[in-house]
Amino acid sequence: MPSFALLNNVDHKNLRVIRDYSSQYGDDEMSVVTFPQEFRAIQNDYPIFFKKNAETGKFIPVALTGLRQNENLFLSEKGWDSNYIPASVKRRPFLIGIQPPRPDDVSGQPSKMVYVDMDSPRISESQGDAVFLPHGGYSPYLEAIVDLLDYIQYGTDLNEQFTDALLAHELLETVALEVTLKSGERINLTGLYTINEDKLTALSGGAVAELHGKGFLECIYMALASHANMIKLIARIEAKVLSQ
Amino acid sequence: MTDQITQVVIVGGGSAGWLAAGVIAASSPARVQVTLVESPDINPIGVGEGTWPTMCATLQTMGISETEFFRECDASFKQGSKFSRWTSLSKEDDYYHPFTAPAKYHDINLAPFWMPFRDKIPFANAVCPQSAICDLGYAPKQISTAEFGAVLNYGYHLDAGKFSPFLHKHCVEKLGVKYVRANVTAINSHENGDIKSVTTDSQGEVSGELFIDCTGLSSLLLGKHYAIPVVLQKNTLFNDSALAVQIPYTDGADAIASHTLSTAQSSGWIWDIGLQSRRGIGHVFSSSYTTDELAERELRNYITPAVGKKMAEELSVRKISFNPGHRQTFWHKNCVAIGLSAGFIEPLEATALVLIEVSAKMIAEQFPANRTAMDIVAKRFNRTLSHHWQQIIDFLKVHYVLTKRTDTEYWRDNCLASTIPDSLKELLELWKTQSPWRYDEVLKEEMFPSASYQYIYYGMKGAVSADIDSKIEGNVKRLQEKKLRKAESLFMENAQHIQQLKKLLLPNRELIEKIKKHGLQTI
Repeated sequence: MPSFALLNNVDHKNLRVIRDYSSQYGDDEMSVVTFPQEFRAIQNDYPIFFKKNAETGKFIPVALTGLRQNENLFLSEKGWDSNYIPASVKRRPFLIGIQPPRPDDVSGQPSKMVYVDMDSPRISESQGDAVFLPHGGYSPYLEAIVDLLDYIQYGTDLNEQFTDALLAHELLETVALEVTLKSGERINLTGLYTINEDKLTALSGGAVAELHGKGFLECIYMALASHANMIKLIARIEAKVLSQ
Repeated sequence: MTDQITQVVIVGGGSAGWLAAGVIAASSPARVQVTLVESPDINPIGVGEGTWPTMCATLQTMGISETEFFRECDASFKQGSKFSRWTSLSKEDDYYHPFTAPAKYHDINLAPFWMPFRDKIPFANAVCPQSAICDLGYAPKQISTAEFGAVLNYGYHLDAGKFSPFLHKHCVEKLGVKYVRANVTAINSHENGDIKSVTTDSQGEVSGELFIDCTGLSSLLLGKHYAIPVVLQKNTLFNDSALAVQIPYTDGADAIASHTLSTAQSSGWIWDIGLQSRRGIGHVFSSSYTTDELAERELRNYITPAVGKKMAEELSVRKISFNPGHRQTFWHKNCVAIGLSAGFIEPLEATALVLIEVSAKMIAEQFPANRTAMDIVAKRFNRTLSHHWQQIIDFLKVHYVLTKRTDTEYWRDNCLASTIPDSLKELLELWKTQSPWRYDEVLKEEMFPSASYQYIYYGMKGAVSADIDSKIEGNVKRLQEKKLRKAESLFMENAQHIQQLKKLLLPNRELIEKIKKHGLQTI
């Protein structure tokens, strides 16, 4: 169970974070959440689908990283085997938390806070990159993390708008993927959703203009184009099976 | 064609009126205009807070969002009923009637295979995971399950006082139902005896070709105007009174039961229905066997553990009286009764709302194009409804007739042969030697699946003839080893299924809160 602590330079003065990727750090999941701003980079390597958030039931776009439960095919002995590491992976073990505005805050804006998962196996005092500078200032690593968390926060809002728009135009549909490996093993991927292409081609001009105006039309086509990466994922799993 | 049926006038609001309006407006031909006339002076009776799983399809037909329904109607999930102390007075005496059928029900009848183990595990627990999930107070689906989708079959508990206005708004705004708020002062006839129109006190005359009587127990059109008699059923089902009370949860986060709890009393039984914000509890009893005072005492005793002695004595109790029975016919000339105006037996097994749904659906889907067709549809409707009522009477009576309680005259009399319909006597005789199954379903769309008979019959330890065990052994041999093996693996799978569901499902209240916050997805 993660235990999130509000990051501060007193309690976490000596905090270091191991930035390698491996199953021992909990990176062995078969899909990770992704965001419209990074679709362009994601669609080079990963198939993009949609899943329901287990906590809220809301749709989120995900990048597939594997085909079987708890198997990330991008993990190798050399770390993460791709030029682009999804933002939701890179942020680990940090998280942004929204706090309601303080009573004395005249702006009334909720404030964003950085939290760190103290139970993450990435946490160390001896290995990895320092989070704070010796005098307590942000390390360049933490600066980058703060930017990344902002990016994710923005992307999370965008995801909600994006999937709401898809649902409003009935553009999502369930998809069942069945993969048969050379070994004969059959893999059924369930709980995934994708763009309904029939509905997409039948969209009215007004609807297309609306989606385009929000930048979502591009996202839709990138998600569809990304499905070609299923071949790459299958190649990865076949190679892995062979080597075992 | 001059006698085309286009104008439907529903007299009366309430759950019956608005459900009928919604279903007919949503699924009858486009030319049909539905108008609902509701009296500003008569309040709906406001009971009927439990549904069957049919309500999911009914809401869907009307184009209602399940999320909105949870947000607006104080609704919760109902996965069936738990009957307590119906078979004996023992405190441990209880059984479930879950909404999910036994595993692979249409491929295999598990009852004979369960019988050798009948002293070890209750039937419902052996063949279906739902009673275990109800015992845990878990919801029947996940937040990621689509609207109206189910992991385990479910209906709802709802606040009838909120349900009608909710349906009203939807019917008027989304389905084009015309709303006339006025009192009906006269019923005007054509020469052939059809109703031509109703005169109202403030909105003039409302005319139509088909009139639906949803005026509740007063049965203004079918009962008063046409004088269609009521076939009384009190000789079979004795209850004729109810005392209802609402109790608050002790704190907002109390668990919500996801089944109706039904606890037998000395001369009746108490329903207990958990909504989001309160519990609705009522004692239904027979005035021939007990007094209002004694019934009220039992009701107040029942709620005392939950609310404490002081509140239990102070809460106001509402009395409802009814004459158990149904009209002789339900569709007469161009008038059809839906809801209490057609009849009412008693609240057991929540038959009132489901019968409204079934009736409205039948009218909508077989909507008569013209007056000639109407007579034929009416004939069919009457035939089907008569069958449904007979089935309701038999099914409800099963709950009483299988009792082993002899503590009061009420329970003893319930077992007298003279109170049991012949149709039920036959079934009871048959079930001693063969279990209820698919062959007990005569119509394609029965009110109750035969699985429900299995749950009640075996839940109440219904008689199986003395030589049944040896017979079953013989049967098992003849039924091939294969079937036995399949049954055994289904029992095993059921046990595993329960363990999986325990990990997947959330407490009822927790899921309902999530639905209200995040909404359910439409796919």
